[in-house]
Amino acid sequence: MSSTQHSPINGWPCGTLPLNVVIGANSLITGELAFKRFHSQLEKALVIGAHCTMDGVHFDLGKDGRLVVGDYCYFTNAVLLCELEVRVGNYVVIGWNTTITDTDFHPLGPAERIADAMACSPLGKGRPRPKVLTKPVIIEDNVWIGPNATILKGVCIGAGAFVEAGSLVTRDVPARARVLGNPAQVIGEVS
Amino acid sequence: MSAGRKLSWDWFAGTIPENVIVDETAYIETTFSFQFFRSIRPGGVAYGRGASTYLGTMFDVGPQGRVTLGDYALVHGARIICDAEVSIGDYALISWNVVLMDTYRVPLNSHERRKELELVPTRLLRMACADVPARPIRIERNVWIGFDVCVLPGVTIGEGSIVGARSVVTTNVPPFTIVAGNPARIIRKLEPRTTLPHAPT
Repeated sequence: MSSTQHSPINGWPCGTLPLNVVIGANSLITGELAFKRFHSQLEKALVIGAHCTMDGVHFDLGKDGRLVVGDYCYFTNAVLLCELEVRVGNYVVIGWNTTITDTDFHPLGPAERIADAMACSPLGKGRPRPKVLTKPVIIEDNVWIGPNATILKGVCIGAGAFVEAGSLVTRDVPARARVLGNPAQVIGEVS
Repeated sequence: MSAGRKLSWDWFAGTIPENVIVDETAYIETTFSFQFFRSIRPGGVAYGRGASTYLGTMFDVGPQGRVTLGDYALVHGARIICDAEVSIGDYALISWNVVLMDTYRVPLNSHERRKELELVPTRLLRMACADVPARPIRIERNVWIGFDVCVLPGVTIGEGSIVGARSVVTTNVPPFTIVAGNPARIIRKLEPRTTLPHAPT
């Protein structure tokens, strides 16, 4: 990929970006651990728009994970766990220590979970893992997500929504709604 | 208060900012806690007798912000986002990954928020710092806050109360009360008796 041309102040000053990362003009990724768990094999697995600040974000992408972030986004110390697809719009803020995931990580059924524990163990070499539920997460434009929040798989957060600090979001959030709680509930509306 | 105060045990090559008041009996594990400290107010952080802050505590304090730590206050890794005032009372115990925020740093209105987000990438320290109203947080004496708790702007937590782990505190907590949950609710009341042991010397 030839689109990874960045001036020294842009891109990722801590190291060399993986080849399947595309980052827009004047966007900055900080933190040495940003790509420690970046395993995606897809082309353009991570696409970040222009003028973004990704401060201490962990891009934890599985081998088939794809993450697309729009312009003017501002994330601090978010953990983004992506096995399938996470799409983030423009002007999205994600607060400190927030986790977003598009996967359940393990199967729900007890028998399948035993099979998964074995496959994941040091003895499980080559053993296929059972199917794990994954569902894309979509975060539309102008969304604000506070610190210590958690967004689970399959959730769509509508444009302009305001997710309060510490919320655990398990269901779709309507546009411009203000949500709070575990599980997150609509407590009002923002303009 | 001389400039360039360093800590002999510090792993981070930083100094304690000039306008931070540290009692001689207080303990600061690392000056890394001041990496986002931008307050220009006198006593931008003030440590009381025997107060302590440990790794993970971050004073994300804006130019007009001020944080006070009472006597024996123990802060074991809170992110203090402060543009007005966050006061932590005597004997308060604050756990890891706690967020105390007196401001949202961005406007609630999404149109206004976009303007602020367009400014972030133009700043040297790429942070949001919109001029939005901040509402002080008051943690009174003898309060215990569990890990991963968020305290939202304007909240006062009354003397002797306990906030359970992972709670989100959205409204004031009366004195001598246990609250928990997200949003936090009253669980039960505590005996408002506080007999003080002899202070250590």
